[in-house]
Amino acid sequence: MSTARLPLHRRPGFWAGGLFAAFAVISALRISDAIDSTTGFILMVVAMLQIIPLTRASLAKQRSTGHLSAAVARYTRRFLFATFGYVLGLGIAVTIANRVELSQGESFLIALLPVIPVLGMIWTMARYLIEEEDEFLRHRAIMASLFGLGAVLTLGTFWGFLETFEVVPHVWAWWVFPVWAMGMGLGQCWMGLADRRASDPSGDEA
Amino acid sequence: MKNRLKVLRAERNWSQQALAEELGVSRQSVNAIETGRYDPSLPLAFQIADVFGLTIEDIFIHEKD
Repeated sequence: MSTARLPLHRRPGFWAGGLFAAFAVISALRISDAIDSTTGFILMVVAMLQIIPLTRASLAKQRSTGHLSAAVARYTRRFLFATFGYVLGLGIAVTIANRVELSQGESFLIALLPVIPVLGMIWTMARYLIEEEDEFLRHRAIMASLFGLGAVLTLGTFWGFLETFEVVPHVWAWWVFPVWAMGMGLGQCWMGLADRRASDPSGDEA
Repeated sequence: MKNRLKVLRAERNWSQQALAEELGVSRQSVNAIETGRYDPSLPLAFQIADVFGLTIEDIFIHEKD
């Protein structure tokens, strides 16, 4: 089924766009001090609820393009829980750190709040590779994660040397996971485009 | 690796989806194998051969042949 024929609320791009737009608006409000950090956190959690229809629309699209397996559905559900955990953990950690004077040990424990859900995301990805029975989909997921790894190593090394020679500002190390995930997403998109270019649309009819 | 999957499928009037369900894989997998973008593992190649009632050599063409 072509995405163009789907109603707006069933298109993953609609919900992904809504999510990014909400984050952009909340960030702008926060940067301009129009809202305080607690209000910003509550709005972020509310905006995150768009992940539920985004997930449903993505699963429906994957089903229609033949990419959906039981392992993909499990991966999506687990990742959804981990994402909620991450937003909650990060929000709670930042709120506490901004309001309470913490010892080093307490700071260590607070830092674990967003880290544990991220570990959950990494575990989810590992489980997917173990549970996926469709070897082609598994092959694609491995290629995409290697693409992400390549992106992290390239950008990280390049940025590190630029930082050493004081060309660019310091970047927190936690960026490795988002950069890897973005690289993986780009890899999936690139392979998806190659699929579409090479696919035989008459295949379903024959 | 080249293969005769599309021809064999057309002879039986099977869609990619029907073959995918028979093999227990995604339609995209069938499409990728058929268009030569993905070479299946030996167990999947045997499974494909079984579905068509042929040997692997009848379906997949060695480049030197």
